[in-house]
Amino acid sequence: MKKIERRDFLKMAGGAVCGGLVGTTFSGAPFLGFQWLVEWSQDQYVPTRGEEKFANSVCHLCGSNITVRKIGQRAVKVETANSGCPLCQAMLQLLYHPERIQQPLKRVGSKGSGKFKPVTWEEAVKDVSDAITKLRSENKAQMIAAVNGAHNTVPNLLMERLVMAAGSKHVYTEPCFCNLSKSAVAATQNAEGTIDYDLENADYVISFGARLFEGWGNSARMNKVLLEWKKKNVKFVQVDTLCTRTASMADSWVPVKPGTESYLALGIAHQLIMNHGKSSNLSELSRWSGINEFSPDKVSAITGVPAEKIAEIAKEFVKYRKAVAVAGRGGQCVSSSVAEIAAVQALNALIAHLGKDGNAFIKACPSIPAGVQYDDIAKAGHNNTRVAKGLDDFIKNGEKVELLFLNESNPVFNSVYGADFVNKMKDMPMVVAFGTLINDSAKYADYIFPTLTIMEVPTAQGNAVAAPRYTSKHGGDIILDIARKTEKVKDAFPWTGVRDVAAIVRDGQTRGVGNFSISTDLLKKHFTELKKAMEESAQEYPLVMIPFEIPFVGDGRSLAFPYVLKGLGHETYSAERLYVQMNPETAREQGVSDGSNIYISSKRGEIGKVKVLLTKTVAPGVIAMPMGFGHAALTKYGSEKGVNPREIMNNAIDAESGTADWWYTRVKLS
Amino acid sequence: MTTMKRLWGMSIDLDKCTGCGACQISCMQENNMPIFEDDSDIPKRVTFMDLMRVTNDYQGDKKYGEVQIAYVPKMCQQCSGNNPDPNKAVPPCVSVCPAVATDVSDDGVVSQIWSRCIGCRYCQAACPYEARVFNWWKPKYETDFKNSLNPDVSVASRGTVVKCTFCSHIWKRERDKMIAQGITDINQVQYTPACVSACPTGAMKFGDLRDPNSPVYEQKLKNDPRAVRLLHKIDNADPAEQQRRMKIKNYPNPKVYYLTSKQWLRDILSGFQNS
Amino acid sequence: MKFIEFLKDEFNSYSRKSQIALYVLFAIVALFGIFAIQVLFWGLGYTDMNNNFAWGVWIIGDLGLVALGGGAFFTGFFLYIFRVDKLEPIINSTVLLGWMCYLFTLVLLLFDVGQPLRAWFGFAYPNWGPHLMPISMLTEVFWCLSLYFCILCVELVPIVLKQRLLDRYPVVHAIGHYMHKLMWTMAAAGTFLSFFHQGSLGGGMWGVLYAKAQWFRPHFFFLAVVAATAGGTSFMMLIPWIAGKIMKKEVVPKETFYTLAKISGVMFIFYTSFRIYDIYSMAVKYVPAVDRSFMDLWGGLYGIWMLALELILCFVPITMYLVKKFREQEKTLVTGFIAGVSAILVSKMNVLLHGFSVPNFPWRGFTTYNPTIQEWFVFLGCIAIMTLIYMWFVKYTPLFPHLHHSEHASEGHE
Repeated sequence: MKKIERRDFLKMAGGAVCGGLVGTTFSGAPFLGFQWLVEWSQDQYVPTRGEEKFANSVCHLCGSNITVRKIGQRAVKVETANSGCPLCQAMLQLLYHPERIQQPLKRVGSKGSGKFKPVTWEEAVKDVSDAITKLRSENKAQMIAAVNGAHNTVPNLLMERLVMAAGSKHVYTEPCFCNLSKSAVAATQNAEGTIDYDLENADYVISFGARLFEGWGNSARMNKVLLEWKKKNVKFVQVDTLCTRTASMADSWVPVKPGTESYLALGIAHQLIMNHGKSSNLSELSRWSGINEFSPDKVSAITGVPAEKIAEIAKEFVKYRKAVAVAGRGGQCVSSSVAEIAAVQALNALIAHLGKDGNAFIKACPSIPAGVQYDDIAKAGHNNTRVAKGLDDFIKNGEKVELLFLNESNPVFNSVYGADFVNKMKDMPMVVAFGTLINDSAKYADYIFPTLTIMEVPTAQGNAVAAPRYTSKHGGDIILDIARKTEKVKDAFPWTGVRDVAAIVRDGQTRGVGNFSISTDLLKKHFTELKKAMEESAQEYPLVMIPFEIPFVGDGRSLAFPYVLKGLGHETYSAERLYVQMNPETAREQGVSDGSNIYISSKRGEIGKVKVLLTKTVAPGVIAMPMGFGHAALTKYGSEKGVNPREIMNNAIDAESGTADWWYTRVKLS
Repeated sequence: MTTMKRLWGMSIDLDKCTGCGACQISCMQENNMPIFEDDSDIPKRVTFMDLMRVTNDYQGDKKYGEVQIAYVPKMCQQCSGNNPDPNKAVPPCVSVCPAVATDVSDDGVVSQIWSRCIGCRYCQAACPYEARVFNWWKPKYETDFKNSLNPDVSVASRGTVVKCTFCSHIWKRERDKMIAQGITDINQVQYTPACVSACPTGAMKFGDLRDPNSPVYEQKLKNDPRAVRLLHKIDNADPAEQQRRMKIKNYPNPKVYYLTSKQWLRDILSGFQNS
Repeated sequence: MKFIEFLKDEFNSYSRKSQIALYVLFAIVALFGIFAIQVLFWGLGYTDMNNNFAWGVWIIGDLGLVALGGGAFFTGFFLYIFRVDKLEPIINSTVLLGWMCYLFTLVLLLFDVGQPLRAWFGFAYPNWGPHLMPISMLTEVFWCLSLYFCILCVELVPIVLKQRLLDRYPVVHAIGHYMHKLMWTMAAAGTFLSFFHQGSLGGGMWGVLYAKAQWFRPHFFFLAVVAATAGGTSFMMLIPWIAGKIMKKEVVPKETFYTLAKISGVMFIFYTSFRIYDIYSMAVKYVPAVDRSFMDLWGGLYGIWMLALELILCFVPITMYLVKKFREQEKTLVTGFIAGVSAILVSKMNVLLHGFSVPNFPWRGFTTYNPTIQEWFVFLGCIAIMTLIYMWFVKYTPLFPHLHHSEHASEGHE
């Protein structure tokens, strides 16, 4: 055998190495390696596959039927159209929210510390029912109270029933247009129910600050109304201080000075009475000497609307056959005094359209038809309850309570008396919150009961979209559980489950009620107070803060949904800062510019830091303030983002509704 | 084998758009948008759809009282360049991709393969509509949020560009369903992208630009005095001038039409005023 | 241990001032390492680039380095093809600079892409069109850049082989010698490749973005080639001059500088005229075609001044290089070097960074971009490493043959 020379060996080795390298390269192995490295180093989640199914649900906020696409057991998409309701679209994010409460929670730390421990349902329900029994046995039944969320849901009705059956009348609902208009209906028409505008059939609509297409009322309905109007060419006039999208969609936007919507309403009323012979329709207003204070010139000076424009609106209002004036300033959050709603309603009364096609109706609230036999303790409790007019009145002036239910509500955030409410809750021996997420108010609760989302609630026709997450239960079922565990009280709840109740709940009937009368005292008081609010400390607080809403953020509960946050534009919330809007003229006077950081203070306190966005959609002298931001607690997505203007908003309580009219707040930059 | 007749397009009636944002949320849910604890760094945000608030005061010449605002939902405009024929289309972004991660499908939709993208962002530079987004951070879906992920849309890696594809995965889904029923003619399949199906006022319409029965029939839209295409002033020129200019260069020629009766909005959408 | 001793000795062999410089450079490199890991492992979120401002300081680094490194192909082209032998003393430094510029262009590009592990997709799935013409300018950049980098590596080999320790082996010496003889083929191939990617990366990439008013110009490709020849040659003179200043020796004969300065000056005339035509054509033809106004693209006085500065900087080297009086005075000549290099860098910034800040929608304003600390240190780190490599080559290889010739002449050995 020939000996291999060293040189040959080197050659062969070199050749082998080169060949090996080339071969490896062309085999693709290194590239596969790279690909493997990509997958390994980036570890990207792959959603699991499964059979595609569709399931149905009903939104409790807008009433829309929604279809949900499912992959296996997972709900992956809300496939609904024509809803436009903030809750429907974002529902999956509530359903699968990582911070959903998994089990009943009992407070372990001090109140508000946010420290809870999970307990069993039996234990929690027993504790609460024991507390009711104890209060009743001590003749303190009137010390039970409940705050319901602002929607007519079955749990709200059951909660009211529970509190009443236990012996208290302290049932309040978070402020909303329903509440306010209920008080207005009580004050002007001596009836029970809420104002229901027949917007679908109107041919002329003038809205006094109601941002009809930005969350006002039932969004699903309002979107259909919009299409109807487009089809029928309905004339739509928007009265507003800010140029919102609703104002831009209107045929005519009437800019008014902040807070003066009710002046304009009476200005138009003055025209209807004086120039259009409508005096006989509302005699107490026609005979009122004070109406002369609302001549076009005077109103023009106050509202900034030209006298001719006022005359023109009055003329049109009479001319159209189905004209309607809409009250209720705001979007999802509404703030108007009862007198203002009444003043606007007076316009509908003046043209004698109330209760007619295309105008305003009264809608009864839904109710559970079965009556309750109250026992002696309950009756005594009812007699002892000093019912407040509304939630804000209850927080500010209400008597002490020892057991409070927060039923899907968040008064700490939604009331201008949030801080007072915190203090009140700190003094209460027991606060029970119902909800899916821990919010600003539930943080102070002693017990938190996890409730279901609409995705987990079976519809009347069939199954729920998804099985209840964790151990959550329907709010109605929880109330039934509590009631059934409580002696005597349980007699008022003869049902096995919430489905039985839902089946018998009577929806509110709509009816037209005539006999509209407006008390001139109410008006006098309103304008005196309004004037005071406008003039008081105008020197020290030269600016006015007027709220507005971002659709889908609305009153702020949607801030827990990351996809809602992701949709916010740079004119709203950017780089961890909330933007307030200001006219460039105001900014110049105040020495701030686009993007400046500012703090805003009213006589109640200071909020900040927020950034300035200059836009001429805002009247000079006004700061337009987005609502819904600044949660102290609403999951890690919604907490501490922006500021909550309710902390410094006007907190004068409207005597009729017991709700603070916070629309108009004098502020300054500090 | 049937030839593709579809050319998907969209029209958005801004007069009906309330700016509610349902389209955005629907899009995010359908397309598995990442979820971050704080997503307020807007220029780095990953979302296919931008709801832009525009006012007629963008030049600062309006007064309070005259100002109007509108919302403009903007997604990928599915450009085609001068020639709308998908086989000859040159969208600004497709020709620049070094790795063929983005392409024009035969239905005119500009597609993007997340896993092919090397993240060079050349297409972002090329896009005049800011429609392409880059995953600056690794997409995150905290625990339970993973449940609502759509298996039809793959979760993108960090460092890749993603974009709206007119939800063409839904089309594929619908096609598969039809094939399961024995219908193989692709032109019989219709579909609706997530944003359009979520629009509560029906402001967004989707369909075949070539089909006279579709709500977005192109010949009709082109003659609609309310229609305008984003940053596409050349549409206003007369045909001879259009021909002359298209010899100089390509124009994006997008497949999304905006409809509005407001002149100021048409002006601002069609492009810059000082030319 | 021996190795550490060696490093110590090595470090101590430098002067005090050089040691301070080395400390600074090493510190930058260390920070580069830290931030590089951060960016590569956790993503580009740490940069100030965003969806509208898709590229930032790194792309300026890429474009600057490629354009300036382009001086290597142009100098090589003149030396090996046109046989301008006066350029011989500077060619080694030129090749090294070219090699480093391209290496770090690749490095910066790797940082810039979101998926560096997939960078090979550019080769595996190139965007070729019919007739094997690349459709994407970036595909062309990928191929030309990597191929030309290979050529530069080959060109660099003889210089490395001339390193004293290696040069002792006859085999190595022979290889080095023959490679040197064959260098004209490499120069020719390099010129060919460099021509394309100079055009594509420097200009064509932007010129083809037809939907962007600030970029679309069909001739932009060629402008970038001319820019590289003009600015690159200035850079090739600037660096050896700085080296000479630091070493306090004449590393390159004056005549070489003068020759190259003349070439560079002529190229600057071409470049400046081309750029003026470019701006003119933009203003009257291409920007109006996209329905925008030229003046609006500059975002007010700041942008206009940047443009004016660029043009002023272009005229400086023309004057300094081509007027004999200025050329033969060191101060004015160096002003020319610096202005020439700056002209190219400012031009890249005007085109790119400014281009990204231009709003796409009428209701948007100009955007700003402030590189983050990560971006700065990755960028500066590359420059620092380049400096260190250059220092090593100056010390251990015959980077400046002229220096050795004169040393041999005066001192004989060492």
